[in-house]
Amino acid sequence: MKNPVVIKSNRYGIVIILDKNMPFEELLDAVKDKFKEAGNFFKGTQMAVAFEGRILSFQEEEQIVDVISANSELNIACIIDQNPEKEEMFKQAIEERMAQVVQSSEDGGQFYRGTLRSGQTLEVESSIIILGDVNPGADVIASGNVVVLGSLKGTVYAGGNGDDHCFVVALDMDPIQIKIADVIARCSDDSLRNTRRYKRRNRSKIMQPQIAFVEDHNIYIESITKDILKDIS
Amino acid sequence: MSEVIVVTSGKGGVGKTTTSANVGTGLAKLDKKVVLIDTDIGLRNLDVVMGLENRIVYNLVDVVEGNCRIKQALIKDKRYPNLCLLPSAQTRDKSSVSEEQMLDLISKLREEFDYIILDCPAGIEQGFKNAIAGADRAIVVTTPEMSALRDADRIIGLLNASNITRQDLIVNRLRADMVKRGDMMAVEDVVELLAIKLIGVVPDDEKIVISTNQGEPLVGSNTPAGKAYMNVCYRIMGEEVEFEDFSKNGVFSKIAGIFKKN
Repeated sequence: MKNPVVIKSNRYGIVIILDKNMPFEELLDAVKDKFKEAGNFFKGTQMAVAFEGRILSFQEEEQIVDVISANSELNIACIIDQNPEKEEMFKQAIEERMAQVVQSSEDGGQFYRGTLRSGQTLEVESSIIILGDVNPGADVIASGNVVVLGSLKGTVYAGGNGDDHCFVVALDMDPIQIKIADVIARCSDDSLRNTRRYKRRNRSKIMQPQIAFVEDHNIYIESITKDILKDIS
Repeated sequence: MSEVIVVTSGKGGVGKTTTSANVGTGLAKLDKKVVLIDTDIGLRNLDVVMGLENRIVYNLVDVVEGNCRIKQALIKDKRYPNLCLLPSAQTRDKSSVSEEQMLDLISKLREEFDYIILDCPAGIEQGFKNAIAGADRAIVVTTPEMSALRDADRIIGLLNASNITRQDLIVNRLRADMVKRGDMMAVEDVVELLAIKLIGVVPDDEKIVISTNQGEPLVGSNTPAGKAYMNVCYRIMGEEVEFEDFSKNGVFSKIAGIFKKN
């Protein structure tokens, strides 16, 4: 008898060719056996999956996916309907995903020397380290982290690609607004209105470097300690 | 060797024109040949503050359009033989003059004057671009208010972008009593944010209002503002006037000292 389940793979995913005539229950068992054998082969990989040879209802498709995930370590990134541009779509779907992962977790960073003044915008596709101040009215936008070796008094947006693990560090943290991924925090209205905050604020206390990060969809600002550094690394 | 100084602020009403008038007059009192140019076309004020309004025949636009010679448009101040004013046109707008025309005019004036002082209009549009086009250095005027500081900061960024890196700061209309109460930013806070060289602190002084209304700059007079402006003039010329006091006691106590004397 012909093999009821055949797995074909290409660079970006796998195609599972299913027997057209076999009753669905038996076919499910065959899929289970097939993936049990191959389970280790797919260990931890992320792939797009397509089905061929048989028209599946939504429920049937779901059942097969459940069986596959239960019996192998393959992570199914997405399921592609049959069509001629199948591989192209596999390619796009996976490459987009990979690009995002690579970009946001990229360790690379850039340096900017000088003070960003009102009306100036600095936008980078990486992390950015600013050797200078960010004044009120200036914007910093980075895909990665933002480190300000100076006073941060403007607006900063870290994790521009949606990575909420990004953080913002400043020697003097006093921003108008911080955005990390899709979480926004702004300085309190009181401190904006209160002119007294300008009364020798920096001279009366030692400047304390602080870090802003996202936890439970909120932005927290804390002084930098060894424990905090351990958490973010 | 002549120097072209633009007096600018971004925000209106912080004292650009008053500063231009007093600094220009002060430098003339110190035997420098000075020309003041009002670049605020359509909203001219400098002639009023200088008390020379009634003597305007030709103006800046007439000069760049070639309706008259530069000499004809320059108003000589009878009180100070070294001081001239090139007034602005009131019936035209900023687009009447281009940056190239300003450069051309300034290069001609350089031959005759030690200091060319440009009174810049508020804003960052064509008028601002015209005023800074030929400038060697800038005096940024601000008051210790958040809105003025924001604009001054933006102006400093634009000056940097135009390669005018020699920038000096005047903090105008400071009220020592309010600083003491914590209701006004201290000079240190202003300097910390803007991060350019401080060249003068001018206290808020009602004599300024009287002086601008009378058209008689008070620089050099025995008033807090008059003394402050005179010190600015010395510092523009590169003299280290009273900077020891600034570093020893801080700006605040210096200002407090001025108040005590009077």
